[in-house]
Parts: sequence; C-alpha cells; structure tokens
Amino acid sequence: MADFFIKHWDEILQATLEHVWLVGVAMALAIAMGVPLGILITRRPWLSKPILGSANVAETIPSLALFGFLLPLPWLGVRADRLAIVALTLYALLPIIRNTVTGISEVDPAVREAARAMGMTARQILFQVELPLSVSTVLAGVRVATVLTIGVATIAAAVGAGGLGEFIFRGLAMVNDQLILAGAIPAAALALTADFLLNLLEKRLRPAR
Amino acid sequence: MKKDVPTLRTCVLLCVSLCAVVALASCAGGLRRDTIVIGSKNFSEQALLGEIVAQRLEARTHLRVERRFYLAGTYICQQALLAGRIDMYVEYTGTALTAILHDPIEKDPAAVFARVQQEYKQRFGLDVMPSLGFDNTFAIVIRGEDARRLHLKTLSDAAQYTPGWRAGFGYEFIERPDGYPGLVSTYGLKFGEPPRNLDLGLLYRALLDKQVDIVAGNSTDGLLSARDLVILDDDKHYFPPYEAVPIVRDDTFTRHPEVRDAIAELAGKISNDEMRKMNYEVDGEHRDAADVAREFLQSKNLN
Amino acid sequence: MNDQTNQPVLEPIIEFKNVSYRLPNGQILLNETSFAVPRGETLVLLGRSGAGKTTALKLINRLLEPSAGELRVEGRETRAWDAIALRRRIGYVIQEGGLFPHYTIEENIALVPRLEKWPNERIRPRVHELLALVGLDPKNFSQRYPHELSGGQRQRVGVARALAADPPILLMDEPFGALDPLTRSEIHQEFRELQRKLGKTIVIVTHDINEALLLGTRIALLDAGNLRGIYSPREFLKSSEPVAAAYVAQLHMLAETERGAERG
Repeated sequence: MADFFIKHWDEILQATLEHVWLVGVAMALAIAMGVPLGILITRRPWLSKPILGSANVAETIPSLALFGFLLPLPWLGVRADRLAIVALTLYALLPIIRNTVTGISEVDPAVREAARAMGMTARQILFQVELPLSVSTVLAGVRVATVLTIGVATIAAAVGAGGLGEFIFRGLAMVNDQLILAGAIPAAALALTADFLLNLLEKRLRPAR
Repeated sequence: MKKDVPTLRTCVLLCVSLCAVVALASCAGGLRRDTIVIGSKNFSEQALLGEIVAQRLEARTHLRVERRFYLAGTYICQQALLAGRIDMYVEYTGTALTAILHDPIEKDPAAVFARVQQEYKQRFGLDVMPSLGFDNTFAIVIRGEDARRLHLKTLSDAAQYTPGWRAGFGYEFIERPDGYPGLVSTYGLKFGEPPRNLDLGLLYRALLDKQVDIVAGNSTDGLLSARDLVILDDDKHYFPPYEAVPIVRDDTFTRHPEVRDAIAELAGKISNDEMRKMNYEVDGEHRDAADVAREFLQSKNLN
Repeated sequence: MNDQTNQPVLEPIIEFKNVSYRLPNGQILLNETSFAVPRGETLVLLGRSGAGKTTALKLINRLLEPSAGELRVEGRETRAWDAIALRRRIGYVIQEGGLFPHYTIEENIALVPRLEKWPNERIRPRVHELLALVGLDPKNFSQRYPHELSGGQRQRVGVARALAADPPILLMDEPFGALDPLTRSEIHQEFRELQRKLGKTIVIVTHDINEALLLGTRIALLDAGNLRGIYSPREFLKSSEPVAAAYVAQLHMLAETERGAERG
C-alpha cells in the first residue's frame, strides 16, 4: 500500500490539491456570507427563523441529492467545480451562522451595557467588543464546517468535480482497494489535520473569564 | 485571553493562509508539466482505448503518461477535460453530439464528425481528432436461433414480433434521447411489457438465458464475436454514428505538439471486428487490458 | 475642564421635568418625576428593587428614552443630544463592572480617550494618573487583565475608566454592591476623597441606606416609580415620610447589631 502511495504520489498530491481548492473556496465564501448573516440575526432576531431555517434545509438535503438538483441549472451545471463549490458553501453555512449567533449572544451583557454607555457606536461595539469576544466560538463553527466540507467534497467527484473522491469512485468501479484507499486516506488525513489545527487556534483564542 | 490586536492578527493570518493554500491548490495543474493524463469511462472498451492511446504516447514521446481510467461516465469525463484534470479521452461522436452538445441527432457520419469537431473547438476549446476506425453504435441484438427461425435481418423485419418479446436495455439507453424513445417511434415497436432495466454486463447473459428476447448492446461488444447472437440491421438508419474519436485539450497540443502526430497515426487503425475481438479478450477471457492493447499495437507496428 | 456648553454655572446640570418611562406592555417604571441636580452635587437615588432608580439613571445617558416629559443634561434635552456624544461626556459605572475581558487594564481605562481620539502621549500618563487616583499601582496593574484582579480592584478600575475622559457627570448603578463589607467600607472612604478632589456631579443608585447617607449630598427617595422626596442626609434621618422612616428604623437596628458584634 505504501508502495502505491509512493509510486503515485504526484497524482495523489494533485487530487489532494484539487480537494483543498474546492474546500478552501467554499469555506471562504461560507465565512464571508455566514458571519455577516449571523451578525444580522443578532441585530434582528426575527430573521433567525428564516435564515437558520433555510440553512438547515440545505444541510438536511443529502449531499448527492443537492448536487443532482444543481446539475441541470444553466450556469452552474456547465462546470462541475462551480456546482460543487456552490453546494459545499451551502453546506458550510449552517454551523458558521449558528456559531456566530451563539458567540455574539454569549457576550456578557454587562460588558455590552458598559460599551454602550461609554459612547461606543454600534459598529465599534461589533468590531471592538462582540467579534473579538466571540472569535473562539465562531472558529468552532468554522472547524465543524471545514471538517464537514472536506467529507462532502469527496462526494463531489460523483458529479465530476475531481478531488480525492475521484480515486474512491474509480476504485469502486475497478474494484481496486488501493485506489479507494488512495482517496480515502488522504481525505481522512485532511479532515483530521484541519480539525486539529483549528482546535488549537480555537483554544488559543478563547477568552479567560 | 489574547487582546484585540493579536486576535485581529491571528484572523488576518488565518485568512491569508487560506488564500495562499487555495491559490497554491489552483496551480495543481502546474505540477504535471511533462506529464500527460489519459482518461477513460468505466467500461472495458474505454479502458482498452485508453491503454492503446497511453502506450502509443509512451512509445513515441518522452512524456510521462498517467492513466485516469474508470471515470464514471460522459459528463464526468467532459468535466475532467474542461478542468484540465485529464488531457484527453476517447469519446463517441454520437454521444458528444447529443449528450454534451445537446444538438439534434444527425445520421451522416461525416456531417456528425464535422459538427462535433467545430462546436467542441468553438464552445470548449477542445480538439477532436479523426476516428480511430470503428463505429460503436447501438446494436439491437437477438438470439441466432430466433433470427434464423423467423428470417429476421433488419429491425423493420422484427417490428411485428416485438409485442411478444421482452426487452432488456441498459440505463443510459433508456434515458438518452438517441436511445429507446426514438427507436420505438422510428420503427413503430410495441412491447407487451415495459423494457427491463439491466446492467450492461448482464444484458447478453439474460438474452442467452432467454430471460429477455431482445437487448440493446453495443456493436463492438466482445460477446458478439463469440456467441450465437445476431445484430438486427438498422435499415432506417435511426442510430447516429458513434465513431471513436480522441478528444484533446487545446493547450495540451500547444504544450506538447508531438502528441498530435502520435495520435494522428492511430486514425482508422481499429476496425469493428478488431475492437470486438479485443473486447472479448478482456471481458470474456479476462485478460489484462494493458496486455491486449500492447499486442494490438505491436501487431500494427504502432509502438 | 472641557465644558463646551454656554451654560451659566448656576443652572442645574441635570434636570428632570415630569419624566415618565413606560414599558411596551404598559407597565410604568417611572412616573412623572421632577427634580434638578446642581453642578457638583452627589445625588443618591435610593429605593427598593423595582423602585425606578436604575430606570431614572439610564434615562440620563439615553440608554433608555423617556416616554413623556423633559430631561435636560447641561441645559439641552437629551433627545436633542447626539446619543454618542452625550454618553462620552458621562462616566458610567455598574455593579458587575463590565470591564472588557480581552483588554488590559490600561486599554480598558483608555477606552473613551481613544474613542475621542486623544493622542497617545496624552493617554498613557492619564491612565497612570487615574490608576494612582483609585489606589492601584500603575506599574503593577496596567498590563494585567481583568480576570486577574479581585472584585474590589475591578471596581476601582471601573471608576478609573469612567473618569478617564474627565466627564462632568458620573453615573453609578449600585457600584459597590458586589463587594464584601470591609472592601466596600474602604472604597467608600476613598470615594469621599475622590469626590472632594474632583468636584464632579455624581448620581448614584443604591438600596443601601448606609452608602446613601455616607456618600450623598442629597438623597432622592424613590418608591414604586414615584419620587417621595429629596432630602439632605440630616433631613432624611429626621424625616417622617413613611418609606424614609422605615429605612431609618432599619438603620438603627443595623447599628445596634454592629455595635453588638464589635463588643462581642
């Protein structure tokens, strides 16, 4: 097995990079959309139901089905990686939005009151108090979303988006264990590494009480 | 607890590393400078063709050849080609016309080839090379004994018997516009019960075991050369041509012009019969596709 | 002092005129209250829980908006002030402190000066000056974080923070309630020193009669949203107003117990 990895290291590396690309872009988009949406919900609580509700629906649809839904759409279906990134972003949204809301809500009300009373504008309170204090929680959401996305991205190969899942599907078609593992092991390693690193960062940023 | 500034710094660092990683990952293609990747779909004929192309390139160029076979279908291969994950694979002109280009069906092989070549170049920047020599069109197949008993040669002959027959078709044939629906309307076929949806590998077994009476196989299926099976002639020319053509990324030719010549010499070198025999050796005799491909190339002095 | 209003010194710096505050569900927390706070006074808002004293306090810096009536700060109606500008001219101290856990003590105290864009060279010495003023050694404390400090130390920092931009008004909501009696007593003494030194106008909310008598130049007694009266400490002790009298009675009991404990 090790021989196989060594012999095909560059193919595996290439597939890993494709995988990272899919996950990376999706996570960047999910964070860019999810954190502001989470902040918005803390400002207008009535939005909680529609926004979290929609994200929840996206999350609940089985990933393969979601890929299938998006396939016939005009601009999306033309390129599989576009399609995959959209689907992956939708999947990553829920944990990020949810944790942003939680993180900000959990800021000590006394701190919030003091900040307001001292004459900080809403914007200043957001950037100087709420966000710094909730970074750790938001990061926990990012961590969950990342690990999830790495997993779902393996399925993206089923619709032609490439990545490590392609090894797995090819291996299944050829009934070749080595190929399957060549996809499965790096995918698992990616997920574990991301989880570990983000966990470290999360702990480092957690506020002392 | 870290202060505001280190938190900000950490977040910026995180964002920058994310961008760096993503940017690096997007250059994945750059890794394969002197490598060329051949793709194929997930059945034996495709693996054979892939091997033939791959070994030809290994013999005639200094490039490292990677095989990415058994990709799960036409769409997957097309996406892989567009994304640059593979440099080429062998497609069938009829499939390209209807399943990828979504153009209406045409019957004239030359017209189909010209259409496919032009549109692939225009829409996708992909080069379609001349046919390898055989036409893997759909073959409507019945048992030899039935053909002889009922004096059946063409599909028109057989139309009157279809109400009493059970049909077995593969999934793609049933779904594709150039498959089952058009066949039924062109020849006025009526089946007593809806056709059975069978796995491609089981079609002929089911036919020979009399579980079904008529199947849609491919004209280059290996078993056709080894068993008492008859292909009904498509006298109304319903099925479009499915000539096997290598499709290559334009930038592959730009980077490695020697590839074009190496592939061009394969044009017209594989006949229907030869393809059938190779398929049988792999499917029927369970030989390794790479070995069969090598023997073929040697026999034609192409490696 | 950076007093930007053209207000004559004799005008009250805070003025309530029939101010009411009503919750959306109709409940009245403050009912048509009127009083004036002259410059330099320490007014204590005394009352039970739910008497409306915190409500009154929060109306002054527009954390709450009056439902009716006129509330003037430095001669201008709070409605006419820019809320942010108003709050930066008013120091605010709460019971829980509300120090930012992710800021050092120095950064906490420097908050309003930074918001007001003071130059760095001015901020640092000011922070050190304030720490010394509240009895904390700047060298020792300025780089620490709030969670490293005791309750009493945190409250001192809270006061320092409220004073940082040298506001004319200081609002305090049960600022010493969470401290143990010994620490509280210490801080009371220091606070009286501070009052003398700084001459700020201070409004303190408390339900502790001792604190009220000790710190206030006048005591405003609130009960169920209504102002019962405003008294000097002496007047309060002699008042026959029922609620006031009840407090005083309780005070005597407490004094007896304390004296008993001392003796025993």
